[in-house]
Amino acid sequence: MSVFKSRPALRWLVPTAAAVVVIGGGAAAGTIVASADPTLEPRSAAQLLVDLQSAKVDGFSGTVVQTADLGLPSLPGVTGGANGAELMNLVAGSNTARVWYAGDDKVRLALMSKLGETDVIRNGSDVWLWRSAQNQAAHYSIPAGRQHERPATTLPQGVPSTPQEAADAALAAIDPTTQVTTTGAAKVAGRDAYELVLQPRDTASLIGQVRLAIDGEKHIPLGVDVYAKDATKPAVRIAFQQISFDTPDAEQFAFKAPPGTEVTEQNSADADKGPISKTPIGKGPLGKGPLGKAPTDKAPEGTKVVGKGWTSVLVAKLPQESAKGSERAQLDAVTGALPEVSGAWGKGRLLQSNLFSALLTDDGRVLVGAVAPEKLYEAAGK
Amino acid sequence: MSQVDVRPAFSLRFLRSELRLIAVRRRNQAGLAALAAVPIVLAIAMKVAAPGTGERRGGGPDFFAQILGNGFFVALAALGAELTLFLPIAIAMLAGDAVAGEANQGTLRYLLTVPVGRVRLLAVKYAGIVAGAFLAPLVVAGTGIIAGLILFGGGDVTTLSGTQIGFGEALLRLLGVCLYLGLCLAALGAVGLFLSTLTEQPMGATIALAMLSVASAVLGQVPQLDWLHPYLLTQHWTDFGEFLRDPVSLGALRPGVLVALSYMVVFLSAAWARFAGKDITS
Repeated sequence: MSVFKSRPALRWLVPTAAAVVVIGGGAAAGTIVASADPTLEPRSAAQLLVDLQSAKVDGFSGTVVQTADLGLPSLPGVTGGANGAELMNLVAGSNTARVWYAGDDKVRLALMSKLGETDVIRNGSDVWLWRSAQNQAAHYSIPAGRQHERPATTLPQGVPSTPQEAADAALAAIDPTTQVTTTGAAKVAGRDAYELVLQPRDTASLIGQVRLAIDGEKHIPLGVDVYAKDATKPAVRIAFQQISFDTPDAEQFAFKAPPGTEVTEQNSADADKGPISKTPIGKGPLGKGPLGKAPTDKAPEGTKVVGKGWTSVLVAKLPQESAKGSERAQLDAVTGALPEVSGAWGKGRLLQSNLFSALLTDDGRVLVGAVAPEKLYEAAGK
Repeated sequence: MSQVDVRPAFSLRFLRSELRLIAVRRRNQAGLAALAAVPIVLAIAMKVAAPGTGERRGGGPDFFAQILGNGFFVALAALGAELTLFLPIAIAMLAGDAVAGEANQGTLRYLLTVPVGRVRLLAVKYAGIVAGAFLAPLVVAGTGIIAGLILFGGGDVTTLSGTQIGFGEALLRLLGVCLYLGLCLAALGAVGLFLSTLTEQPMGATIALAMLSVASAVLGQVPQLDWLHPYLLTQHWTDFGEFLRDPVSLGALRPGVLVALSYMVVFLSAAWARFAGKDITS
């Protein structure tokens, strides 16, 4: 201490050093995780795929973090407002969810928000959707015959669901259009993991790589990273931040609508078009499937797919009377902020991001694809 | 100097006198009363306006709508409402008085002529701020609970996860919320103590701290600055909602606690660096 007494100016070294350590420590925390040195024996892509399909865990619980940096322009009405914030978080921010799993008929997914929570809970034949912000609960019963189906249809599309589900979507895209490789093992949520790398063969796709991290021991997916072409940071990442393979207690899955709650009863036939599918987050670009999800056969008239594989472009007709009043005005405000483009195919507005492009033509069509805008113009001209 | 060594490093007497000094100040009493008034006003307003708000369903993120069903939420709504401005201003007042206030009154000199080390003086001053930081949310929550119970009654409390917990457990969780917020405010107090050593004008330190706290909250709302957000002091304050989930995940509070502790280390050492080498002229 005598040094500090004789030279008081040196005291300032202490807070300065503390600040450097704290700020540096905060910045380094993210990178240490990446530079792991796992020692897993090599496995081929095919082996990993089989591992994935045959993976069986009795239960787990953990925290899943989804981050997105799609490089979207800022849009009025989307960046503000309660619903807008939800939507914005999905495309340019992060979401945290907690997951509990104890067999296929006991699943709970809790999507965290500031001072709020949205829960999807399946317990046997009961499926509950709880939204704390609205103080609303919805109850779905799954008929006995369908009990062994995955409850996937009741989950909101596009929200960060379990990595398991995100991985399934990525796997569905594997076909001759995709180059599949494995890389040196990764580390996710403190666990050693294999990495399965899916790379589009078609270089016109905006997607550079999809990386799937698979737990080295339990063989379940721990995370999915989607990279834009030539990008070094993932544009979308859904990964476990923390995971435990202890089977969660049964009480995690017990849900009873609290008194004073608005409860909607739905039978499972309605479940597909229940209130969930109306949520704004369901319309997020993730739901449109940059992973190459094929459009369902229930697609409305006028919807078609141009092109194949990673560069396919979805062409759909905008419903004319779907939005009304303030919704309409809000929509116009958003589209009005997009840059106007025109060509031989007509005129419209373009939304461009790192992973996908979307074109709204003035004649009421919307074209979406994981391709550069030129491809969209080409498809619009057809 | 042998007497100095015999003396305990941290005398309770000095701390007690500091706490008494804080407690008897009229402006501190008035400030505490103002903090306590918010939940009461809030509860009465909700009671009076109840028929109208009943139509507008939806709890919102701020617990306001749940108040009608359970008085417990008066405390949470009041804490949430006061967190952005009232509570930080209260801490800013204490911090401004701590060193700058003494300097302004000319009493700092006399304090230091008593055989009291500067580090010890700083420690006791900070202890006073910390006591205020933990007391303030407890007062707000306590008044909120009492006002809520009188006007709306109690009963089982619905968590954010949609499950129900008993009122006793809810009170325990509310205590957790208060302790967490106390820690957050104590970190703000550390910044305030540093500001207080920079000036002889208590008002200057108070206003600077209040502005810093508001600026930090505003910056936290700007999505373009998301790289900055993890370093903002106020960023994790609303994480107190974690206590109202089922099950409570204390791990989710770690970022907020780490940020608070980091601010304490940096700004307390800065306050020491400034104060220990400062010429005290008044």
